[in-house]
Amino acid sequence: MEGRLRDIQSITDAQMSELDDQEFLVELLERLKAILQADTAAVLLLDFRSGQLIATAASGLEEEVRQGVRIPVGRGFAGRIAVEQKPVILDHVDHTTVLNPILWQKGIRSMIGVPLLAGGRVLGVLHIGSLTPRQFTGRDATLLQLAADRAAMVVQSTQSRADRMAVTALQRSLIPSALPTVAGAELAARYVPGSGIVGGDWYDVFTLPSGELGLVMGDVAGSGLPAAVIMGRMRSALRAYALETRDPAEVLDKLDRKMQHFEPDAMATVLYAVADPGLERIRVSLAGHFPPIVACPGEAAKPADIATGMLIGLAPDARRHTTTLNLAPGTLLCFFTDGLIERPGELIDEGLARLCQAVAAAPAETACARVMGAVIGREAARDDIALLMLRRRPSGDDHA
Amino acid sequence: MRDARYPVTMAGDVPVVVAPEEIDITNAAGLSATLLDLAAQGHAAVVIDMTKTQFCDTAGLQVLVGAHRRGLADGHEVRAAISGGSVSRILAITGIDRVIPQFTSVEDAVSAPVSGLGDHRRGS
Repeated sequence: MEGRLRDIQSITDAQMSELDDQEFLVELLERLKAILQADTAAVLLLDFRSGQLIATAASGLEEEVRQGVRIPVGRGFAGRIAVEQKPVILDHVDHTTVLNPILWQKGIRSMIGVPLLAGGRVLGVLHIGSLTPRQFTGRDATLLQLAADRAAMVVQSTQSRADRMAVTALQRSLIPSALPTVAGAELAARYVPGSGIVGGDWYDVFTLPSGELGLVMGDVAGSGLPAAVIMGRMRSALRAYALETRDPAEVLDKLDRKMQHFEPDAMATVLYAVADPGLERIRVSLAGHFPPIVACPGEAAKPADIATGMLIGLAPDARRHTTTLNLAPGTLLCFFTDGLIERPGELIDEGLARLCQAVAAAPAETACARVMGAVIGREAARDDIALLMLRRRPSGDDHA
Repeated sequence: MRDARYPVTMAGDVPVVVAPEEIDITNAAGLSATLLDLAAQGHAAVVIDMTKTQFCDTAGLQVLVGAHRRGLADGHEVRAAISGGSVSRILAITGIDRVIPQFTSVEDAVSAPVSGLGDHRRGS
């Protein structure tokens, strides 16, 4: 046993950290095969969206990977290991015990497999096979589990690194890099990802063919890559509906129907507003989102009085309302996501009051900086924060 | 799989799940799993006791909405017991108060007749 433990050390040595994910797994499988004097070894990783285990790396069983073998969780040998989350030993390999025909066609007689676990979650399955009948032991299982734990660590760190990079790239492509220049209007925005896990907050500003200005503020429930992907789809769909429908409430209702049909598990709050050219009026509709804060020159800022509407993904055939706000020259509207005002251990109304105090009918960029300074200060926000300021220029202010 | 952090008690035929003081991304999945586990057991109603809950972000709202939708599909009603404050505020802003029946105490939530509030076949 001691010799084998030394062997397993070789699986965790430094040179292996130089390898990429795929090379690492293949190298690991080859060493395991040699240590256990087995003939085949393979790793299947769980695809969370489909609930299937996908052959990712193999030794002596390369066709599994080349043919893209997929095993549903709960079925067959690998599927059973993923569900039971413990080692499984198989003395008899045929179509009754194993789903993947490659394994028995290959002539594998005995198998042992263990789960790849990270934080109690199954990432995949590692299995070893023998072409001659043999009795795999509990000791084999212990050794294999050690190797699988190491593999799970590497796989998880690679996956989360890849996810983070993808989310950042997506966010960058989806948040407007520059805000449109609109006569009579000033715009400014901030987007700050939450500490640790990036969520699905977004904002969007676009001009419409009518000369009107569309403004969107949204927050997709969830985090990481799945939330960012949903966010991207919602953003595109909303833009498409905005082109064909003038009424903001109708745009949100269409967006809701589309989401409930194609992404039934998604949930989001969205605000969509359309401002007249010249910004005399703005029509706002809410889908579960906070109303904007209004600051008229010389007055205290307060939340706009706008009818609430159901969030996206809540109920079939939800109908929302559009509220029209008249904007006096110099009026500022502050759109935001909940990360700006929600704190554990504090009432929402306290957060809203703090925000209202920080918002003033100043130039948009100044107002943005002031709010971020007053509300966020130096602490790292737990949740994403998106902030968008729209100001109707004061009369006589002709700066472009 | 049921999560031991969210104790379930039975009030007659109605299971009551105690939600934590803060519901966010760190614990939403566990609460959701507990609720979905109950959903499979054929009760007429499930009560989420949020009377101690002070903070519920989007992840928490998703738990409520997920449980509600599952209830609609399976034919049971998900109810929330809420003492007020931020939680009832956020449920009003998001419109969730229009589909999930709310009560000010667990006792009221348990003893209420099925409201049909969230059932849109009967209009809303």
